[in-house]
Amino acid sequence: MLFAGLRYFVGEAVTGLWRGRRSTVLSVVTIAAALFVLGIFLTVTANLDALVARWSEAAELSVYLRDDVSLAERAEVQRALRGDPLVREVQLVTRDEALARFRRDFPDLAPAVSNPQAHPFPASFEARLVSQASEGDALESLAARLRGMRGVSDVRYDRLWLQRLQSIAALVGWGGAVVGAVLALAAALTVTNVVRLALFSRRDEIQIMELVGAPLSFIKGPFVMEGILQGALGATLALGALALAISLARGRLAAAAAGLIDASSIVGLPAATHVLVVVGGMAVGCLGALLAARRLG
Amino acid sequence: MIEIEGLSKLYGRDVFALEDFSMHVGKGEFVFLTGPSGAGKSTLLRILLCQEAPTTGRVIVGGRDITRLKPREVQTYRRTVGFVFQDFKLIPGKTVFENVMFALRILGVPDVQQRRRTFQVLKWVGLQHRANAYPLELSGGEQQRVAIARALVNEPALVLADEPTGNLDPDLALEIMNLFREINSTGTTVLVATHDRELIRHVGHRAVTLDHGRLAIG
Ligand SMILES: Nc1ncnc2c1ncn2[C@@H]1O[C@H](COP(=O)(O)OP(=O)(O)OP(=O)(O)O)[C@@H](O)[C@H]1O
Ligand SMILES: [Mg+2]
Repeated sequence: MLFAGLRYFVGEAVTGLWRGRRSTVLSVVTIAAALFVLGIFLTVTANLDALVARWSEAAELSVYLRDDVSLAERAEVQRALRGDPLVREVQLVTRDEALARFRRDFPDLAPAVSNPQAHPFPASFEARLVSQASEGDALESLAARLRGMRGVSDVRYDRLWLQRLQSIAALVGWGGAVVGAVLALAAALTVTNVVRLALFSRRDEIQIMELVGAPLSFIKGPFVMEGILQGALGATLALGALALAISLARGRLAAAAAGLIDASSIVGLPAATHVLVVVGGMAVGCLGALLAARRLG
Repeated sequence: MIEIEGLSKLYGRDVFALEDFSMHVGKGEFVFLTGPSGAGKSTLLRILLCQEAPTTGRVIVGGRDITRLKPREVQTYRRTVGFVFQDFKLIPGKTVFENVMFALRILGVPDVQQRRRTFQVLKWVGLQHRANAYPLELSGGEQQRVAIARALVNEPALVLADEPTGNLDPDLALEIMNLFREINSTGTTVLVATHDRELIRHVGHRAVTLDHGRLAIG
């Protein structure tokens, strides 16, 4: 009975959608637009998050050593770095290596450093951090501790910059949620109007159903199903457009920023989110239809 | 079957569509409702179908007062009443077969049984060959036969008809009336509103006459 009822609802809904195909297209496109914008925001947020994670991992903490640092002091600093859970890897860069790196990176300026003994490049420890290192105050207190150690002249890290990137990602996420919610509401209202139109154009049919004693669920079912199907169609359309947009963005980036950003590293939405978008679209459609049909009976 | 006591229906402030109207219809009876235009025939049938609530009075159908039913009870009640209107009230987007079967579908009758019974009533009204046609492809007489088939398909205890022959020529009208008589002969109570006196005389059953919402002859 339940299955037969469902089949009846879907059959009626498909017929109804086809009969009112103009308004069907309208609400499907509205839902698709809302979910597409939401999807774009989700994708941008996901990619920014991934970027932050990748850059956090590469982020180095540089501990510059005084020129008169003793071996014992240097070993102490190294121990402090090695023992910290934020630090993944520690490498010593001696004064000579620092000079060599400078000469390699800036060959034009190399002759300016005439005296290989009295050059201004200090020795340093370069630490690679774990990816979560830019969250919280732990990194800051590590830096403060290192600054207070003997033989250390300066401590530098990219934390502020990463934090800014992270808050931008969060902001984009929130903005997306707000814009998406507003658009979803607009989509639900469109569905409401479309279903209300369908209810109006089929009022005679509804009256007949009422007269033969049809249960309210029987009368409402097809209309609610129409809303749900509109939502599902809209969501599918939105996901298709999103996939297209992502592949276009990959192509663009590959051409414009070759070498800077790896275009293939742009990620789409995970499968679970796809399912969520479709379910969300159906929920929006269902809500809109229920809103339209609430006065029946 | 039907007991109506002191029934009044007031539209607006001073239009009495029915005024202190009483009548009894026995189980299995065939009764015509007649009277001039505006006498209140349609109003009475609408009240009997729970499409409208009376202003005062009692309407007992099958032992129950139908003026105080909850929405769910209205649904259950309507499933025991067949109705036929002048304008057929068929769903244009459904075939003849689907239109008739719909009244069974809502009862939760198994699919196979639904089809068998639908085919049976369509055959009875002589339209089995038009089962897959759409209502608008049929003549008025044929559409009314479909409506009658739908009214009958769930074997109601009571059939109400408002001007069922109003749109039909006299020969067809008689044919439709014969269908109602056949329905009646199986024990179903039939109430038909019409102002076709000729038809009433021809068919020859009890006729209740209304005038200005009051019982004139009954
Ligand atoms: N919805 C309504 N609002 C106001 N007045 C109404 C309404 N329905 C019916 N009436 C009035 O109630 C009276 C009875 O109407 P009703 O339709 O019951 O008459 P009838 O006997 O069926 O007439 P006819 O033979 O023309 O169909 C009429 O005066 C009509 O104008
Ligand atoms: Mg009338």
